[in-house]
Amino acid sequence: MRLSRAAAALLALLALGACAHQLKPDDPNVRGIGYVRVEDAIKKHPLYPQLSQLQDSIDALNLKALGAAAVPRTAAQIAQETQELNRELKAAQDRANSILRQKQLDYQQREQAAIRAALAAAGQGTDGSAPVSAMQNVTASQAQQVTAQANADFEAYQKSVIDQDNAAVRQISGQLSARADTAYRQRATQLQEKESQLGLEVSQQDAAKRLDLRMKLGNLAMSDAQRKQYRDQLAALDAREAAVVDAQRKKDQQELSAYQQQLRAQTSQQINAQAAKIHADTQAKLQARRNEVSRQVASQLQGLQPAAIPSNLPAATRGKLEQIDKQFKSQFQADAQKTIEEYQSTKSDLDAQYAALHGADGAATGAANKQVASLQRQRDDLYNRMVDQVKRDAQTVAAKRGLQVVFISVVAAPGGIDLTDDVEKDIESLQQ
Amino acid sequence: MDIRKLTRLLAAAAILTFIAAPVAIAADLTDVGYIDQAAIGALPQFQKANAQIAQYKGQLDPQFAAAMKGAKSQADQQRVQAEFQQKFVTRQRQVLGPLFARAQAAIAQVSSNRRLSVIVDKRILVFGGQDITKDVIDLVDGPGPVVPPVATPGPSSIGFVDQTQIDQVPKLKSANDDFNTWAANQRTQALKEMQGAKNDPKKEQQIFADYQKKLTDQQQKVLKPLVDQTRDAMSKVAGQKHLILVIDRSDVIYGGTDITKDVQDALK
Repeated sequence: MRLSRAAAALLALLALGACAHQLKPDDPNVRGIGYVRVEDAIKKHPLYPQLSQLQDSIDALNLKALGAAAVPRTAAQIAQETQELNRELKAAQDRANSILRQKQLDYQQREQAAIRAALAAAGQGTDGSAPVSAMQNVTASQAQQVTAQANADFEAYQKSVIDQDNAAVRQISGQLSARADTAYRQRATQLQEKESQLGLEVSQQDAAKRLDLRMKLGNLAMSDAQRKQYRDQLAALDAREAAVVDAQRKKDQQELSAYQQQLRAQTSQQINAQAAKIHADTQAKLQARRNEVSRQVASQLQGLQPAAIPSNLPAATRGKLEQIDKQFKSQFQADAQKTIEEYQSTKSDLDAQYAALHGADGAATGAANKQVASLQRQRDDLYNRMVDQVKRDAQTVAAKRGLQVVFISVVAAPGGIDLTDDVEKDIESLQQ
Repeated sequence: MDIRKLTRLLAAAAILTFIAAPVAIAADLTDVGYIDQAAIGALPQFQKANAQIAQYKGQLDPQFAAAMKGAKSQADQQRVQAEFQQKFVTRQRQVLGPLFARAQAAIAQVSSNRRLSVIVDKRILVFGGQDITKDVIDLVDGPGPVVPPVATPGPSSIGFVDQTQIDQVPKLKSANDDFNTWAANQRTQALKEMQGAKNDPKKEQQIFADYQKKLTDQQQKVLKPLVDQTRDAMSKVAGQKHLILVIDRSDVIYGGTDITKDVQDALK
C-alpha cells in the first residue's frame, strides 16, 4: 500500500518535472518550429551576383539621372559611352544566360522529383535520372543559342539600319545646305548688281557737273583759291555718290544677313523634319525587327523536341512521364521566354540610348528612366524567384527534419530551429 | 506488486514522460494558422468596394486641384490637404469598414473553432500551419451576420512587434533622422561630382562606388549597433515571455502575443 502511494507520488513528481521541462523557448527539446533567415540564404544563391548587379545598376542610373547635366559630348566621350553601353549589354546577356541556366537546373530537379514520384507510384523504382536525361533536350544552352543567334542577327541589322539612317540624314542635310548656299549666293549677286547699277546711275546724274568742273580745272589761268574751290566741289560730288552707294550697300548687307538667317532657319527646320522622318522610319524598322526576333525566339523555344521516354516502361507509366515532361517543358518554356523578354526589354532601352548617342533618335529622352523601370522589374522578378527557391528548399528541409511549422521573415528568434544553414547548403549545391 | 516490477514501471513511466514532453510541445504548434489575404481581397464585394473608392477618388481629385489653386498660403494648402485627406479616409471607412469588420469577425470565429492562437499572412509561413482561407471566405460570403467569438485567442508562443512604433523610440528616431540628413548631404555632394565628371563613365562609376561605400560605412557605424541592440531587446523580452519566435505586426492577422511596449521599455 505504502509502496503504491510512493509510486504515485513519484509519477506525479516526474510528470511535474516533465511539465517544468517543456516551456523554455531555448530548450533544445523544443522542436516542431523552425525559421529561415531569407535575406542571408539569398546571399548564397548562385544568382545573387546578378541580383546585386541589377541593384547597383538601378542605384547608379537613379543617381546619374538626378544629376544629368546637359554637358556636350566629345567624339571620344561618345566612343567611351558606346563602349559602356556595349558593356551593359554584355552584362545583360550574361545575366540572362545565368538565369536561364539556373531555371533549367531548377526545372530539371523538380521534374526529376515528379518523375521519381510517378515511377515509385507505378512500382518502377525511384531512379528518375534516366528519363530526366531526356529533359536535356530542353536545355538552357539551346535557349541561349536561339537567343544569341537572334541577337547577333538583330545587332547586325541594327548597325546597318543606323548606318543607313546616318548616311541618309547626312545626304539630306548636304542637299538642303547646298540649296541654301545657292540661294544665298544668287541673292548676294543680285544685290551687288543692284549696287553697281546704283553707282552708275548716281555717277551719270552728276556727269555734266563733273565734266564742267574738270574743264574748269583744266584751265591754267586760275588762282590757287579758285582751283581749291573746284577741287572741293569735285570731291563733294565723289563723296555724295560714294555715300549713296555705301548706304545702299549697308542696306543690302542687312537684307542679305537677314536672308541668310532665314535660310539657315528654314534649312535647319527642313533638315530636322526630314531627319525626324528618317529616324521614325529607322525606329519603326528596328521595332518591327525586334518584334520579329521575339516571335522567332518564342517559336523556336516552342519547337524544341519532346523528351525521349525509355521504351521499356509500361504504357501507363510512359503516358504519365510524357505528361510530366510536357508540363515541365511548357512551364520552363514560358519561364525562359519571360527571361528572354526581360532581356529584350533591357536591350531595347540600351538600343534607344545607343541610337540617341549616335544621333539616330533625337526623341529618345527618357530611355534611361525606362531602363531603370525595366531593371527594377527584372530585379523584383529575380528576387521573388530566389525567395521561392528558398521557400521550396525550406519545405524540403522541414519535411526531412519532421518540423511542423516553418516561418520566414522573423524579427527575433529566442527559440525554434534555425534552418538557414541547411537551406544555404541546398542552395549552394544548385551551383554545382 | 514487487519492487522490481514497480521499478521497471516507474522507469518506463519516466522515459515515457520525457519522450512525450517534446511531442506535447510540438502538438502546441498546431495552433498556428494562416490566411491568403490576396484571396480575401479578390472577393467580389472587396473588389466592388475598391472600385467605389477609386471612383470617389476620381471625383475628389479635380475638386482638390481646384481648392489647391485657391489656397494662397502654405497654411491654406496644408488645411486643404488635410480636409481632402479626411474626406477620403471617411469614405474609405464607410465603404471598406463593414467589410473588414466582417472579415475580421470571420477570422476570429474560424480561429476559435479550430483553437488557433495566431493567424499569420500566408507569405511568411513556408511550411505547416493550418490554412483557414476557405473557411473564412465561406463565412464572409455566407448569409447573415458573422458573430465573433466571446473568448479572446489563447496564449501564443508566437510574439510580434510593431516596428514602426519601435522606430519612434527617441534614441532610434534621432539616429535614423541624423543618418537620413547625412545621407541626403552625401547624395547632393555625389551629384555635384557627377556633373563635374562631364560624362566620363569611369569617373562616374568611381563617384558612385565612393558614394555607396560612404553610405554603407556610416550605416555600419551608426545604425548597426542600434539594430543589434533592438534585436537583443526583442529576444530578451521574448525569452522572458516564453515566446519561441517574434514576427512583425504587419504579418500578424489575428492573435499572437504583442511585446511592442515591453521592447520599447527595454530600449529606453
